[in-house]
Amino acid sequence: MSQRTERRGIHVDQSDLLCKKGCGYYGNAAWQGLCSKCWREEYQRVRQKQIQDDWALAEKLQREEEAAYASVHGAQALSHSQPAASQPHTGHASLGAFSKFEEKKTNEKTRKVTTVKKFFSPSSRTASKKETQEGKTPSPSISRHASFDTEQVSKDFVDFLKNLQKPGREIHKQCRAFIVNMSSKKDLGADELSECVQDFYQNLADRLMSHFKGSSESVEQVMDQVEKYIMTRLYKSVFCPETTDDEKKDLATQNRIRALHWVTIEMLCVSMDEEIPEVSENVVKAITDVIEMDSKRVPRDKLACITRCSKHIFSAIRITKNEPASADDFLPALIYIVLKANPPRLQSNIQYITRFCNPSRLMTGEDGYYFTNLCCAAAFIEKLDAQSLNLSPEEFERYMSGQASPRLNNSEGEWPHSGSAVGVTPTNPVLAQLNHNLEMLSGLSSRQESLMEAAQSLQADLIAWPKNVQREVNDILEKYPLEIMSRTVSAIDANNMDNDQLPPPLTPQVFAG
Amino acid sequence: MAAGGAGGNSGSGNRTYSFKVVLLGEGCVGKTSLVLRYCENKFNDKHITTLQASFLTKKLNITGKRVNLAIWDTAGQERFHALGPIYYRDSNGAILVYDITDEDSFQKVKNWVKELRKMLGNEICLCIVGNKIDLDKDRHVSVEEAESYAESVGAKHYHTSAKLNKGIEELFLDLCKRMMETAQAEERLKGNGASQSASSRRGVQIVDDEPQATPAGGCCSSG
Ligand SMILES: Nc1nc2c(ncn2[C@@H]2O[C@H](COP(=O)(O)OP(=O)(O)O)[C@@H](O)[C@H]2O)c(=O)[nH]1
Ligand SMILES: [Mg+2]
Ligand SMILES: [Zn+2]
Repeated sequence: MSQRTERRGIHVDQSDLLCKKGCGYYGNAAWQGLCSKCWREEYQRVRQKQIQDDWALAEKLQREEEAAYASVHGAQALSHSQPAASQPHTGHASLGAFSKFEEKKTNEKTRKVTTVKKFFSPSSRTASKKETQEGKTPSPSISRHASFDTEQVSKDFVDFLKNLQKPGREIHKQCRAFIVNMSSKKDLGADELSECVQDFYQNLADRLMSHFKGSSESVEQVMDQVEKYIMTRLYKSVFCPETTDDEKKDLATQNRIRALHWVTIEMLCVSMDEEIPEVSENVVKAITDVIEMDSKRVPRDKLACITRCSKHIFSAIRITKNEPASADDFLPALIYIVLKANPPRLQSNIQYITRFCNPSRLMTGEDGYYFTNLCCAAAFIEKLDAQSLNLSPEEFERYMSGQASPRLNNSEGEWPHSGSAVGVTPTNPVLAQLNHNLEMLSGLSSRQESLMEAAQSLQADLIAWPKNVQREVNDILEKYPLEIMSRTVSAIDANNMDNDQLPPPLTPQVFAG
Repeated sequence: MAAGGAGGNSGSGNRTYSFKVVLLGEGCVGKTSLVLRYCENKFNDKHITTLQASFLTKKLNITGKRVNLAIWDTAGQERFHALGPIYYRDSNGAILVYDITDEDSFQKVKNWVKELRKMLGNEICLCIVGNKIDLDKDRHVSVEEAESYAESVGAKHYHTSAKLNKGIEELFLDLCKRMMETAQAEERLKGNGASQSASSRRGVQIVDDEPQATPAGGCCSSG
């Protein structure tokens, strides 16, 4: 017990950021101090429960929806002749023809038919449903929290699909079946998981394309909702999966960016002048946006963060140069922002988006362009050397090893307070923000310190209390030793002289042995 | 390149093509000027309305078919050269620009051609563009040499001036037509409108059951 308290420590150092299981990876407050791997192991069962909950909810919603549907269309069914029955025959354009998925897939020789087929065959669906229902009960606090979000997303999804009426129900059914099937595929590698999801997108999009008669806008709209619904649920099992080295790469990138803290805006030739308040405002916003990406679960929401970040960079460049930013301006600026932000789990996020985003967005859309630039920035940072910053190898080495700092070396004249580095108030608003944050952090840390002290004295009290009680009890026992009278208790009434004095009804009756 | 296809039903009358085109070339050859001239019809103008000139789109209607063109500008600085594969992955066309007054910039174009053919094969439509023809008196790359080189590598050559707005409409229109042909040919190859295969979906060529080559140096290639 006391050992544990010591290890938790009061001062914040590297080890506090590490996983509590001591596996060497970084922990995360959101995972109760565990790394993603340990968290996953710990809460594997929670996900089972979540899937089960989702199923129950989805079925409930489905029933409600069906009831609503029946009440509206029941009346119509009487006036129009055989509406529902004729549906499957109204041509291949109808979404009712979802069952043809399998036939189509088997015709395709280049694809792994089996995996895809499983998604849509009713037998495997019921099988895995049974399987999840046998899931064990997890710790309720976590699952409740997690299912709150997903519940909302489910409701939104159903609301959206209601407008599509019959095809909406088909889409819902397909998505549910897909999610359940994915839950039985945890052992697959990341690329296979990605293939499964991308196959699903592709098939659904093809189907929708014929349903909407080629209107790609309508298809995109539905596909966005499908992505949101599916990926909100799958997020925990497919983000930074343990079958990959995503997490290791995250750590490497994080450390790499830390080691490059000395890189200046001039070395990267960035056309953003942070002296202009409006520019530095945009810089701060861009940094915030790219950091926020990690907190989103849906690939498209993550993309939106990157796009917002990029737009702020463009504004900063536009203000600085008074002309629209070209790629020559944009990429170095984005690299600079990434270096300043050190976005959490950058590699995992990039991989996740690459694997699970709706591909049409990534390939030709505007979001895709900004995402691609982020990939470029990450790759550049990874490979960055003296040459990429126009430095001599010796200079680069000295900066990397911390022996020299470019700011103090080059700009002694430029910095008005070059003499004393202590107590300097930086004029740069990013630095000011940083300082402010640091102050807050140290404030928090001292509060935590006193909290820990209080907790420790409470703990000491708690340990002392039973000892004191024990001592008092012992004292009393010493003072008043317990005298155990020897009593020979044999037959109830034997040796009981008083029996004779009892009134007649109570005198024990004596039987002759 | 399924990207060109945007899915679709067999009646191709109402389908929309989405194409990704990358701009490659040395710095200062006029890439940004070309695309701003094309999309905003402006040159060296302080009143350009667009916030940025890195990613621009243009909607076209070519013989009754809708085309969404996305034009990706790339950072031209030498230190970003290695990032090329991340940019041009999945693109349907590439516009390789050189400055007719700068021989080095033409050499750079040749390097790009080699790289693109190696990485993407023949599925990408290549355009070699000699820009700044208004400066013909300072020409350092001969027309014959440039045109015969283009032909030898299966690319088309165009002469443009962003300053005088010459040859730019033609360049993009011609490129779009070629990309549409490529997309249609690919569709025919896949046959009877069956759903596109997942591998072609992400712009990877299908090599029966063999591991697919992924571009080297891509930080986020899915392979
Ligand atoms: N004379 C002339 N100058 C041009 C032309 N196109 C671009 N420029 C100039 O070349 C310089 C570089 O152009 P820019 O579009 O920024 O090139 P990029 O670096 O390839 O994007 C600018 O000063 C332009 O004004 C052209 O067709 N004729
Ligand atoms: Mg440019
Ligand atoms: Zn751990």
